Amino acid sequence: MATLPHNDIYQLVREPIDMAALARHVRAPEDGAIVPFDGFVRNQSHNRPTLYLDYEAYESMALAKMREIGAQLHEKYRIHRVAIVHRLGRLEIGETSVFIAVSAPHRAAAFDACRFAIDTLKRTVPVWKKEYFEDGAVWADGELPPAPAVTPRAKTAS
Amino acid sequence: MPLAPSRITGYNAPVPPVSQTIRVKVLFFGRLKELSGHAEDSIEFADATTIEELFALYAARHPELAKFRSSVVASRNQEFAAWDTRLRSGDEVAFLPPVSGG
Repeated sequence: MATLPHNDIYQLVREPIDMAALARHVRAPEDGAIVPFDGFVRNQSHNRPTLYLDYEAYESMALAKMREIGAQLHEKYRIHRVAIVHRLGRLEIGETSVFIAVSAPHRAAAFDACRFAIDTLKRTVPVWKKEYFEDGAVWADGELPPAPAVTPRAKTAS
Repeated sequence: MPLAPSRITGYNAPVPPVSQTIRVKVLFFGRLKELSGHAEDSIEFADATTIEELFALYAARHPELAKFRSSVVASRNQEFAAWDTRLRSGDEVAFLPPVSGG
């Protein structure tokens, strides 16, 4: 698995996510806690039964944004390691689409960091899901990522 | 979009002035990919162009795209970018609908 300075893992995969392996990866003797987040496919959307979901990503940018989230976690919280993995392609009901695990010496930082990671991922990582129903398919409502309103002057001049 | 060269090189220029060609790669995702009819395109401009102008070009070809303009975010070289960003040759621009990962 690709690792970074902190021995973190950031991946996009097309196969089922091995949550146990990721939890083991972030766990170290100096830690006291791991907070995992397991996001999986719900069986309904706005009270319509879902058949399955199909995920796509702007892969190079999604990975860059996931790494950025990791860097923010290390800056903001006293944590040890991070794993963030998102699955793409067709996912059935109950299958894990995103898994995050954060280890830390103490639990509070791990809880806070994990919550920040999933909230930020849902706002800023370019991944999209299409929901398939008995009678058709729709792109899921999403969040508009925050983007600069105008180019800073210094950048235009360069 | 102006197609004329942006500057005149000289009175007795031995070579006709050639405006600099800007070639960019354009990506569409999610609903925008379906509306534009392609995931990836490559386009050339004779003159300075912003992301806004680039989107307008595709919106003119695919009027359905224009309706979603207010819920589109653009990126340049994998970074979220302002609509007034000027493109440079070799840039990769993507038009992104609201994200729905997780």
